[in-house]
Amino acid sequence: MSVLELSGVSKRFGGLQALSEISLSVSSGEVLGLIGPNGAGKSTLVSCITGVLRIDGGAIRFGDRDIHALPPHQRARRGIARTFQKVRLADQLTVYENVAAGLASQWFGRANGWMIAFRPLSAPAVAQAVNRTLEQVGLGDVSGAIVRSLPFGRRHFVEIARALVSEPGLLLLDEPATGLTERERERLAALVKSIAAEGCAQILVEHDLELVGRLCHRVIVINQGHHVFTGTPAAAQTEPEVVRAYLGMNQLIGGGADDARR
Amino acid sequence: MSRRILLIAAVAALAALPLTFGAFWINMVITALIFSLAVFSINLLTGLTGLLSFGQAGFVGIGAYTLGVMAKQGTPPLLAGLYGVLLAMLCGFLLGLPAARLKGHYLAIGTLGFGILIYQLLTNSVDITRGPMGLIGIPTGGIDKQTWYLVMLCVCLAVLAALAYIDRYSSLGVILKMVRHDEIAAQASGINIFAVKLIAFTVSAGFAGLSGVLFAAYVRFLTPDLFNEQESFRYMMMAVVGGIGSPLGGFAASLILTMIPEGLRALGEDNYRLLVYGTMVLFVLWFLPSGIGGLIERQRR
Repeated sequence: MSVLELSGVSKRFGGLQALSEISLSVSSGEVLGLIGPNGAGKSTLVSCITGVLRIDGGAIRFGDRDIHALPPHQRARRGIARTFQKVRLADQLTVYENVAAGLASQWFGRANGWMIAFRPLSAPAVAQAVNRTLEQVGLGDVSGAIVRSLPFGRRHFVEIARALVSEPGLLLLDEPATGLTERERERLAALVKSIAAEGCAQILVEHDLELVGRLCHRVIVINQGHHVFTGTPAAAQTEPEVVRAYLGMNQLIGGGADDARR
Repeated sequence: MSRRILLIAAVAALAALPLTFGAFWINMVITALIFSLAVFSINLLTGLTGLLSFGQAGFVGIGAYTLGVMAKQGTPPLLAGLYGVLLAMLCGFLLGLPAARLKGHYLAIGTLGFGILIYQLLTNSVDITRGPMGLIGIPTGGIDKQTWYLVMLCVCLAVLAALAYIDRYSSLGVILKMVRHDEIAAQASGINIFAVKLIAFTVSAGFAGLSGVLFAAYVRFLTPDLFNEQESFRYMMMAVVGGIGSPLGGFAASLILTMIPEGLRALGEDNYRLLVYGTMVLFVLWFLPSGIGGLIERQRR
């Protein structure tokens, strides 16, 4: 069953048609790769899904509702969580505090949300969710550390934890592998798989095509705002349109494609 | 544990102070405590939520004049004071509607404009406020200074404790700090930043209004000049010297910065004392850019 469905989504900035007639869908437990060369419109598409940008045409359905008119915080409360290309954390706060902030979408999604917000940060309802998520992403040991003191790579995981803590239905990962060490990259790959196994739908925007090939069940390729291809990573590398749009990709998109089919 | 003892000792010392003080100093400390509520209102708005306001004196004025005008017309002072706080909150809400959409310099100028507007209203609505002639003889007397001092001390410590709790331990504090730090990330976490800012404006205006209400009830004499933009800057300066975002620092700074200029009167009635005062403030900010709050934080670590 598809969690998110975009049909004919268009976005225009003045004279620039940033997205034209993009359609896609993600099901629960699925990892959808969103790839394309620089300036293809990937970030614009992510912004349209999260509500930072309003679309000019088309429809966005999440669950069983059309959400294209909702502001970002309401989409978050319905279960769309995201990470950012450039990490956006409150870096003088602790890891724990940053992740707890992610629970806001749960607090305010409920009628008595404000009451919960007055509870201490160490209340069991908060601590349980935060600690479980920190363990899941492998940050259990640095819960009390100030974010600024963490190595850059680990901050990506703090962001993922903040997004995950509210148990979203859809997780958008915007270039999560940027700046990661080899070990962190493997850690990320395992994490994405475990999140999928829990039934969360994921959209992975990533330049690391080997990783995309290994993790994604399907990929969607866009170029200059146009849809180029949707299919398995393996099929993408033989598609002439894709090769033309994304020169050299057929060599890069990796041997891991078999994994994705399992 | 030793910190707790220290805290209790400090509070006990504060409570015993008026026994050793002369009337002049008690008077000043009470005024400083009343000011500190306005400084708290800046701490909530600017320190926690990241919204710059140069119009806080406007809210103080609204609270003060509501009590003054209504009490003189025969409303019981307690009720008039309540109206003063509520009216200030209403004005904070109404100012927040446009101001919560502004950022940085634009917000600073917008709130400055609000402060000037209120000052002009107080000056020119002569029929209601008596304008520059001042509102004299507000009927809130009958409480001696010792009681005033203890009441103000309790009010301030309660507000201080509440702010410190929100800042350090509550989930709400994290939400406010997320809004200050990164609005886009806050939205992506389901935080309605417009609503949070609007509430911050409203609550902050309520504290400033309370400061005004207490000022009017204590001093029993009002002129519009007590609430002009210079006062707004003074509150902001106290908050900055205290360390923006540190309620305890703001509290200390409002006490110290009220007393120093008075103590400097020993230098004579010339304006030299203001020169000395200004230089001192500059040096504090030079050596302690994060204010007294930063110093407290450093001791704690």
